[in-house]
Amino acid sequence: MSINKVNTHIIPMEFQYHAPTTLAEASALLEKYGDEAKILAGGTDLIPHMKQRKVEATHVINIKKIPELACIKETSKGIEIGANTKLRAIELSPLIKEKTPLLSEAAATVGSVQIRNLGTVGGNICNASPSADMATPLLALDTVVNVYNREGSKDYTLEEFLHGRGEVKLEPGELLTGMTIPLQPKNAGMAFEKVGWTTFDIATVNVAAVLTLKDGKIDHCRVTLGACSPAPVRVYQAESILIGEEPTQELFDEAVYLIAACVEPRESWRRAPPEYRRKASQALAIDALTRSIEKARRLA
Amino acid sequence: MAFPNMLYGRVLKSPHAHARVRSIDVSKAEKMGAVTITPDEIPDVTYCPRLVSVPEATYKDWKVLADKPHYVGEAIGAVAAESEEEAQKALEAIEVEYDVLGASFDAFDAMKPGAEQVHDEIYLKDDLLKVENNIGCQLSITEGDPIALEEADVVIERTYRTNRRYHNQLETKSVVVRPEADGGISVWSTTQTIHNTRLLLHDIYGIPMGKIRVYKVALGGSFGSSIHVNPVVTIAVALALKSRRPVKLSYTREEDIRDHCAYQMIFKLKLGANKNGMLAGGRLEAYLDIGAHQIQAYPLLGCIVGWWVSLYKLPYKDYVGKAVYTNKVPSCAFRGYGNPQISWVVETMMDELAGKIDIDPLDFRLKNYIGEGDLFWGQGPSVKSIIQSCGVEEILTKGAEMVDWYNRPNPEEQTGRYRRGWGVGRGYHTSSAGAPVPSSIVDFGGAILKMNEDGTFDYISALMDHGCGTQEAHVKIIAEELQVPVNKVNIIRGDTGTTVYDVCTHASRGVYSGGGAALKVAMKVQEQIRSFAGRILDAYPHAVRIRYDEETDQTIIFAEGIEGREVSYREIAETARHKNWGTVASVESYRQPSCPPHFTGYFVNVEVDTWTGKVKLLRVVAGADIGTVINPLLAAGQVHGGFAQGWSMTTLEDMPYDPIDGDLVNRGSIANYKVPTTQDLLDVDDLTVFFADTYEPTGPFGAKGIGEGALNPVAGTVANAIQNALGVRFFQLPITPIRILEALKEKEE
Ligand SMILES: Cc1cc2nc3c(=O)[nH]c(=O)nc-3n(C[C@H](O)[C@H](O)[C@H](O)COP(=O)(O)OP(=O)(O)OC[C@H]3O[C@@H](n4cnc5c(N)ncnc54)[C@H](O)[C@@H]3O)c2cc1C
Repeated sequence: MSINKVNTHIIPMEFQYHAPTTLAEASALLEKYGDEAKILAGGTDLIPHMKQRKVEATHVINIKKIPELACIKETSKGIEIGANTKLRAIELSPLIKEKTPLLSEAAATVGSVQIRNLGTVGGNICNASPSADMATPLLALDTVVNVYNREGSKDYTLEEFLHGRGEVKLEPGELLTGMTIPLQPKNAGMAFEKVGWTTFDIATVNVAAVLTLKDGKIDHCRVTLGACSPAPVRVYQAESILIGEEPTQELFDEAVYLIAACVEPRESWRRAPPEYRRKASQALAIDALTRSIEKARRLA
Repeated sequence: MAFPNMLYGRVLKSPHAHARVRSIDVSKAEKMGAVTITPDEIPDVTYCPRLVSVPEATYKDWKVLADKPHYVGEAIGAVAAESEEEAQKALEAIEVEYDVLGASFDAFDAMKPGAEQVHDEIYLKDDLLKVENNIGCQLSITEGDPIALEEADVVIERTYRTNRRYHNQLETKSVVVRPEADGGISVWSTTQTIHNTRLLLHDIYGIPMGKIRVYKVALGGSFGSSIHVNPVVTIAVALALKSRRPVKLSYTREEDIRDHCAYQMIFKLKLGANKNGMLAGGRLEAYLDIGAHQIQAYPLLGCIVGWWVSLYKLPYKDYVGKAVYTNKVPSCAFRGYGNPQISWVVETMMDELAGKIDIDPLDFRLKNYIGEGDLFWGQGPSVKSIIQSCGVEEILTKGAEMVDWYNRPNPEEQTGRYRRGWGVGRGYHTSSAGAPVPSSIVDFGGAILKMNEDGTFDYISALMDHGCGTQEAHVKIIAEELQVPVNKVNIIRGDTGTTVYDVCTHASRGVYSGGGAALKVAMKVQEQIRSFAGRILDAYPHAVRIRYDEETDQTIIFAEGIEGREVSYREIAETARHKNWGTVASVESYRQPSCPPHFTGYFVNVEVDTWTGKVKLLRVVAGADIGTVINPLLAAGQVHGGFAQGWSMTTLEDMPYDPIDGDLVNRGSIANYKVPTTQDLLDVDDLTVFFADTYEPTGPFGAKGIGEGALNPVAGTVANAIQNALGVRFFQLPITPIRILEALKEKEE
């Protein structure tokens, strides 16, 4: 009888609201309430899910009162972004625009300004959607995620963290605190491409590319594909044929063929059939590669 | 809106596309403190919620609550409780047993012999009818000699399928009903017609009309989805009558998407043309997949043939239209009332025919269009009038010049990833359903205008404004007639108790028909002012003149050339009171004698990415003939909005069904029903709107409508532009990136 239950207006169940101000407090609450608890960041995924009864949490833990979780800063290791950083802040950050413009580009494509003013990068990743627009570019930047645990913190590569089962790798009592984007090569060209049905839409396909040129040949190279498999993926096969080669049309054609081969059709796909995703992933990959090469050439 | 002691309602909806309710157990919900209603507690009245046509043309198959639901989402019960959350909990506690029945989700399946009947019996007026092959109603018309079509030099025949669209109006269908001490009710609802709301509630609940007060509420848009009285209204009345407390019932978006939609239509069109560039004739079969109930599909069948035969001169025309029941959300009017659908088909085929007889598509249109002096079927075969103003030629020739039409690209010459194309399309819509003789459609309105004791005016009308500035246009019309600044005319928000009947704000009749009524009362009021002024000035009423004096901010009546013979509106009003002459006031009903078409034409330039299938808008030029333009910015706004809606219809919108559970594939989620944002359209500077220089003799100060004509030609134009870019024609809407890539692949093979 879901027609009489599911809507995006009413939350008919009762839940307790918590607003911890420290990570230790938040973690203790998460441990105490286990499966009954849900973390609330921007709420742009969680609240609709609660209204739609996909999530029936009896404890909602707002982590926005923990100050250190919202930040964008440069450290010796690279760029650190707190989990609670708003997508709008990432879109507009001069530091990110300078060092990893790919992330501003991607953030700017998420929903609308209103959504980006609420939604956070941590929420985007922890929601574990195959089409998360931040996950694809973060993957291309070799991002390491930082997880808080009462015994200490843990680091995972984003690839490990996402692991593609509709949820991220978090144990009871753990939460994502932020991520570190290792320093990228100075002359790295990068680009993000997305196709959806409207600007407001989630991705039908998204692609990110990061690469550098050395003596006219592709040196460092990352290509990632989103919305086409249970979690965004790095396309290692494509990267390996690109590295060490001169960027030519023929080479790109070969690479994007391998990218399209990563499309893993799913029974539940309603937005677009596999054939469309294959075609579109090739188009977006060509665009992402071409734009990153152009930028890399300018920086070389 | 909220009242003290108000309850919140929620509706229990059928999860089955077709079923019989075996039992409903509300005991748990009632134990939770909720008030509940079930089908057997409602007067057993079968009705039609749309009351725009005469009873002889009105088919009835609705009940307030269904004991045999016919689509996923049909209301079978309802609850009211102290909060929406409590009402929701009570709703979930209701236990229902169903006997599930067979269902059809496609019009052609539904017409097959042996298909489960959505309705066995329905009423036409008060006569019981047996439904056969799920055909709810039908209409056929033939005029002329079929030889004309048979012997035409070129004949094309094709099948076209339109999409099922959701109105996506700003606010979901909502209502507050307050029971009154005298046994009556007060109603505030998102309606396009307060008087027809009262009529229907009277018919169902038997409350004397004077005790039903339906109040005007500001709307953020409706697009035809509340010409009929929405189910929330009839349900909330039952809840309020039972609980004896005010009840608010506001649909969630998910409920609203399963509440109303545009008609999905399948057309078989055959058109013939001769080498001399003239159309020879046509045959049209129209199948309307109306969903589970009729919301006056019969007049729509008439409108479709009317829209079709009034676009271009057809010496021979043959039409059959069938409205077919399916187990889907009932369809209702949506801006254009079938015209966007049939115009897409005709404008697509006009381009194709032009190619076949080797004539420029624009010239082909100019040779065949129906214009001044021609007979126009404003709303089907029963609403006809002669066209007295027409700007088609101006729109098409001026637009062609602006876009350098004759140098547009040739589709066969383009290669490469990005391909560009220009398309042209034209259309029109009727302004009202007025005509010199009565028809099966009711179209009249009325207004009250009175002069206040300070010489300002109160304007009271039942006509709803859906956020289009319709009432503002009326104020301008009145102000013009009375020679006062617009701020001297107040709009009084009325209700059914304080206004005279107006049929509905629909059919692009707000300015033409409603404005006609406003002008009529203004003229009457002016007559009375002249008469009072004549007494004061010792002058002849018909001889005095009127001017506005900026310095005193007063309108002055004066006998020209005679010193000292002048008096202001304020002085007239004061004198009338002091001398006990009475109030200057007029109440009038008004029926327009004609249904003048407002014409529109579009030129659209697109760029198609042949790798992703995405279509980008580059430039739009739109011409509109709306007679005198009363609100220039708002009229241009109607064109912008009409274009956006048409673009969305062409490229994005659809609501397919999941045959497994009979629900919408999008599951009622607005996030899964895409419409363009401003960023998906084009820079406003790249959308040029111009108005033709015309004057409609029957319109208030020469005005016609614009609302629907702004949308009607868009799908055809955009489709033609895509064809010009790709060399591929589409016979199904929407033209999505997925379909574009599939079509390109097919073309290659
Ligand atoms: C209209 C609309 C449009 C959208 N468009 C897009 C789009 O184009 N692209 C896109 O990618 N997304 C889109 N989204 C989805 C959403 O806005 C983003 O995923 C957003 O980044 C989620 O962040 P949030 O802070 O709102 O997450 P929340 O809803 O607060 O949380 C999401 C999930 O992550 C968990 N969580 C949050 N923070 C943490 C943490 N620190 N540690 C552990 N778990 C945590 C929550 O418990 C929850 O399960 C859209 C959503 C809407 C409503």
